[in-house]
Amino acid sequence: MRNGITRREVLIGSAAALGLAACARQPQARRARPQVSVVRAPAYTQQVYDTVRRLVAEHRLEVRGRRVVLKPNLVEYEPGSSINTHPMVVHAGLEAFRALGAQVAIAEGPGHRRSTLDMAEAAGYFEVIPGFEDLFTDLNLDEVSRVRLRRPVSRLTSLYLPHTVLSADLLVSMPKMKTHHWAGATLAMKNLFGVVPGGVYGWPKNVLHWAGIHQSIADLHSLFPRQFAIVDGIVGMDGNGPIQGQPKPVGAIIAGSDPVAVDATCCRMMHIEPGRIEYLTLAGGLERIKAENTQQIGENPDDLSTPFALIKEWQGLRRNRV
Amino acid sequence: MRISDIQNVSIEEIQAFQNPDGGWPYQQGSSWTEPTAYALLAQCAGEKAGWDTARAVDWLSGAQRADGGWPPRRSVEQSTWVTALVALLPPAVAGEERHARAVDWLVGQTAMDTTLLFRMRELLLRGKLPEDRACGWCWFPGTAAWVTPTCLATLALRKCYWQRPSAALRERIEGAREFLMARRCADGGWNHGSAISLGFNAGSYPETTGQALLALEGSDPAQLQDSFRLGQRMLGECQSAAGAAWLRLGLAAHEQLPADTPPPARVCRTVADAALIYLARVAEQGYNVFLE
Repeated sequence: MRNGITRREVLIGSAAALGLAACARQPQARRARPQVSVVRAPAYTQQVYDTVRRLVAEHRLEVRGRRVVLKPNLVEYEPGSSINTHPMVVHAGLEAFRALGAQVAIAEGPGHRRSTLDMAEAAGYFEVIPGFEDLFTDLNLDEVSRVRLRRPVSRLTSLYLPHTVLSADLLVSMPKMKTHHWAGATLAMKNLFGVVPGGVYGWPKNVLHWAGIHQSIADLHSLFPRQFAIVDGIVGMDGNGPIQGQPKPVGAIIAGSDPVAVDATCCRMMHIEPGRIEYLTLAGGLERIKAENTQQIGENPDDLSTPFALIKEWQGLRRNRV
Repeated sequence: MRISDIQNVSIEEIQAFQNPDGGWPYQQGSSWTEPTAYALLAQCAGEKAGWDTARAVDWLSGAQRADGGWPPRRSVEQSTWVTALVALLPPAVAGEERHARAVDWLVGQTAMDTTLLFRMRELLLRGKLPEDRACGWCWFPGTAAWVTPTCLATLALRKCYWQRPSAALRERIEGAREFLMARRCADGGWNHGSAISLGFNAGSYPETTGQALLALEGSDPAQLQDSFRLGQRMLGECQSAAGAAWLRLGLAAHEQLPADTPPPARVCRTVADAALIYLARVAEQGYNVFLE
């Protein structure tokens, strides 16, 4: 990668960061405990729409007239599997943010498979979300600008990123709750790998692996200061995720404005010790990801927690292991 | 008109998406090197000799970087895998000198996972050298080798080798073919390039299976029987236009495309998809632009 960076790129990156920071309600005080909602959602039924609408509403996001981008996790052509974020959850998010007066778009850039729209069609997005093709941007093929990383923890100094996410006032990460054979767990933060454009970096986006997977996740997180996360934990995936694992019913949707706190909560629900997920400690620090430093809303996460099977390489992540 | 509205996949339909600057977008918006190179390849394979390619060639020529390679789009300041696509064009299209520099850039690329430094690091960390010594190409410099860029670079260098044989080209082509055989999945096909991950077998994709078969044209058919069978089965299940096109190109290169195969029924999502369907159709009529 070159060393220099143009004034235009700095301006675009700064504008994006300011836009994201200005969005929604007044930012919580830096040291305030982030709020994380855990709600029961036993199945992919019409009830999901009401659940997501209430969940988004309770966070009192001020998004009227703002541009909100929903970023689901699309990985493979396997309808009915637990690989992709369920289209009903994404549609529920779309309707919830529209109800708040936001302009809502959906965008994703898968890491391995190139035909994103075909995959979305196979995953049921065309069927469930009316006008999906008009709402959707393939982030792998979007217009891009280079953005400098201010204090990178990876070897990256800058990244080309799609205008659709750079120009968003609020980026909503909508992952599936899954284990991941390289990262331990893939949740709201790891889901941001999908904003890195394959059209520039390829399929897979191997620059992120060479720069350090955990470090790259932390760096991507730092580039988007105004995020919201809605994790599809109705049926997750355990074992050899994120593709070859087994469906894991959890019956929950987890959400909040701080993806670090949301991911840490999800980890605890998966019986994974968040302090052993390197990208969480890089982005949040050990103190920030402790349960007592998160304000839980709704259900007690322990009531919905269930042990996710871990491949042998990740057995050390198990929470409270002896 | 949307790309998905394309019905017949003709040169005219592809041309309709050309930007005023001479290049092509993937779907809409700015021009990118990949769809522009595929649109020009389709033109080269077609019979519309009267089509004015000057603007497209100007766009492509203006995008070449000082190091001889091409960036994915003009605003990206890095030469990448798309250089192989431009090198697949006949040298006369962008000019002999530009073409030669593109080939030199390709030959000079080394994936990080085949460098001596990486192998020594693996020896120190894991106590053994990686078994896979074959050398492929990466998507983006400074990263590992993967199937698609290796296939496209192999095809480009083969065309060059037939015109100007050299030991350096031969070595890279043979190394790339070894790489492809080493990365073949247990089912006989290819995915992005990770056949086994943490001890688990991974499945193949139609796109990369077709690409690898095309790049392995001329290989011993006995070694590829499982790949042929899988590719033929994938034809009926494939869910992307590009996948169907690459499978047809790859199977046709080995004369393994069943005669009664219906044309791809999938919707074109990008200009590249449309160009690939066109190129596959022309290949079935006897002219495979990737091999001639």
